Amino acid sequence: MANIAEARIKREFKEVVKSEEVAKCHIKVELVNDTFTELRGEIAGPPDTPYEGGNFILEIKIPDTYPFNPPKVKFVTKIWHPNISSVTGAICLDILKDQWAAAMTLRTVLLSLQALLAAAEPDDPQDAVVAKQYKENPKIFQDTAKHWTHVYAGGPNRTPELDAKVAQLSGMGFDANKVRVALSSHSWDAERATEYLIS
Amino acid sequence: MSEEMKSQDSDNDSELEESDHMDDDDDYGGYYDNDTGDLDIDKPKKSDDPEYFEYELLEIEDVERFLNEEVEVLHSTLQIQPGLAKMLLLAHGWRKDYIIDRCKKEPDRLLIDSRLMPERKVTEQIFGNSAICSVCLLRRPQDYFYSLSCGHSFCGECWDEFCQVRIQQGVTTGIECMAKDCNILVPEDFLCSVMQKPELRDRYSQLSFSDHVKSHPDLRFCPGANCPIIVRAPVCKAKKVECSRCKTTFCFKCGIEYHAPTDCDVIKKWLTKCADDSETANYISAHTKDCPKCHVCIEKNGGCNHMQCSKCKYDFCWMCLGDWKTHGSEYYECSRYKENPNIANESVHAQAREALKKYLFYFERWENHAKSLQLEEQTLHKITSRIHEKVMNNTGTWIDWQYLLDAAHLLKKCRYTLQYTYPYAYYMEKSARKQLFEYQQAQLEAEVENLSWKVERAEITDRGDLENQMDIAEKRRQTLLKDFLEF
Repeated sequence: MANIAEARIKREFKEVVKSEEVAKCHIKVELVNDTFTELRGEIAGPPDTPYEGGNFILEIKIPDTYPFNPPKVKFVTKIWHPNISSVTGAICLDILKDQWAAAMTLRTVLLSLQALLAAAEPDDPQDAVVAKQYKENPKIFQDTAKHWTHVYAGGPNRTPELDAKVAQLSGMGFDANKVRVALSSHSWDAERATEYLIS
Repeated sequence: MSEEMKSQDSDNDSELEESDHMDDDDDYGGYYDNDTGDLDIDKPKKSDDPEYFEYELLEIEDVERFLNEEVEVLHSTLQIQPGLAKMLLLAHGWRKDYIIDRCKKEPDRLLIDSRLMPERKVTEQIFGNSAICSVCLLRRPQDYFYSLSCGHSFCGECWDEFCQVRIQQGVTTGIECMAKDCNILVPEDFLCSVMQKPELRDRYSQLSFSDHVKSHPDLRFCPGANCPIIVRAPVCKAKKVECSRCKTTFCFKCGIEYHAPTDCDVIKKWLTKCADDSETANYISAHTKDCPKCHVCIEKNGGCNHMQCSKCKYDFCWMCLGDWKTHGSEYYECSRYKENPNIANESVHAQAREALKKYLFYFERWENHAKSLQLEEQTLHKITSRIHEKVMNNTGTWIDWQYLLDAAHLLKKCRYTLQYTYPYAYYMEKSARKQLFEYQQAQLEAEVENLSWKVERAEITDRGDLENQMDIAEKRRQTLLKDFLEF
C-alpha cells in the first residue's frame, strides 16, 4: 500500500472519531484488518425516511492510489433503494465515480451516502425494479423500504401486514429472503410472487 | 576522305527522312497516349470526380511542427504564453480566429469557459508559516504549497503523486484541480514543476499529443493497427482516405471504413443495427441455396451473383433466385425492395413483421455484397495464377493479360460502393428520389454482375468487350455518387 494512502487513512480515522456526527451516533468507521485497505462503515438511517431507525453496514475498500482515486464502497446490509442494488449492495453515486476529488474524505463519503438515503435519484438508478416502483408506486415503495429496514437493519416494525405476507409464502417452503425479494418486486401481489418463485 | 564524307552525308539524308517518319509515328503515339489517358478511369479528376478529396499523409514530427506553428500564431497575436495558447486551442477545437476574437472582446469569460480561470477565486490564507494539506492531512511549511488559478492549495508531494496517478490512468490534458467541485485544468508547465519523476513526462507528452491531434478538426490518426501516420485535410468531409503506409482506407470524417454514398451518422446507425440483429439475419441468410430449377444444393464460390447451376445449366440470380435473363436488360429489379402498400391498415404485429422483412431485405443484400467482396479477393488470386498459366502456355504475354487484373480491381471498387448503397436506401424515405436512387442502384448492380461474370471467364480475345464493360460499370458508379453523395 502506498505510503500516502495509509498515512491519510490513519489521519482520517482521528478526524471521523472526533467529528460531531460520531458523537451523535450518525456515522462510524472501524478497521477490519491492520493494513488499512479494508474498513467497515456504518450509517444511521436519516430521520423522516423509511430508513429511520435502521443501521446500515458498509464495506469500504481503499485502493492503492487513494486519495487520488475514490474508495470502493458497497452496502453489506440489504436495503431497498433506487440507487443501491437490492441484490449486491452496489451503489450508484457520482462522488464514488468521476466526481471524486482528492480533497474528499471518508467522512464526506459517509455523509453523502446518508444524504442519498434521504433523497434518492430515481433517474440515475442502480436497481431498475426499485426505481420503477419508487416512481410509479411511492406508497408501496415506502412500505417495502420500511419493511427491509426492519428486517435487515434493525429498524422498528412499522409494516406488520407485510411480515404476514412473507410468513405466509415462507410457510409453503420457500426461503424467506427469496420470498421477500419476490413480493417486493411484484408489488406484494402474492399470486404473481408465487409464480415468480416457481418459475 | 571525300568518299567517306559523301557516304556520311547520304547517311544523314536517309536519317533525316526516317526521322520525318518518326515524327508522324510520334503524332500517332501521342494520340494513342491521350486515348489511354481517357481509358484510365481509375484516376481521380478534380472537376468531375465526386470522390475527389485533397489530403496529405504526415509523420508525427510534421504534425508536431504544424501544431507548434498554430500555437505560435496565437502566441504572437495575443502576446500570451505558448502553454496557455495551446490549452485555449485544445479547448476550442483549434479555431484561432474565434479565440482571437473572443480574447479581444471578453478575455475573462474566455478563460473561465476554457476552465483556465475560476468564476471566483478562493483565498485560503495560510496563517503562520505552516498549514495542513487537505489531501495528505499533514502539516507542511508554507512554501510547500502550490495552487492553480483557483487558489486551492495543496502540498507539492500530493500534486506530484496526483499527477502521476492521473497520467498512469491515461489522463493528461484533462487533469483537474484536486478540490471538490473544481474543474480548473492543470497546465503542462505547472505539472512539470511539481513532478519529480522525468519518466512520466514522456508518457505525458505522448498522450497529450494524441489529445491535441484528436481535438484538431483537420487531423486524423490513421486507424490502421500501429500505424504512425496522421492525415491532414483542409476541410473535414466524409471522403475516402488511403494510407500509403498500411494501405488502410477509411472515411476522413468518422474514421471507420469508407462508406459512400451513405453518410457517417447513417452508417453508424446501420452497423449498430446489424450488430444487434445479426443473429437472426445470419440464421435466415444461410450460405447455401438450392437451384430453383433442379433443386441441387449450391454453394457460392465466386463474387458474381449471376449463377449457373453446374448440374442443369440453369442461369439464375443468387439474390432472388429468379431467371437471370430477366435481369440482363435495362431494368434490374432485384435490388429494389417492394413495400406492401396496405401496411398502414395492418395490425402492429404485421407492421413489425414488415419492418423485419424490410430490414432483412436490405441486410441480405448488404451482407451478400460483403461476402462477394471477400470472394473477389480470391478471384484476384485465381486471376494471377490463371495469367501465369496462360503465359506459360504461350497464350499471350504477361502484359497482354494485365487488363484482367485492372478489371478485377475495378470490380472490387464498384462492388464496394454497391454494398454501401444498401444502408443508404434502407434509411431513405419513400419518395421520387428514392425511386431514382434505386433505379441507379439497380443499373450499377446489373453492370457489376456483368463485369463479375466476364472477369471470371475472360479470354485474351475478350479484352475489348471487358474494357467496355469496365467503363460502363465505373460510369454507373460515378453517376450514382455524383447524384447522391452529399457535400
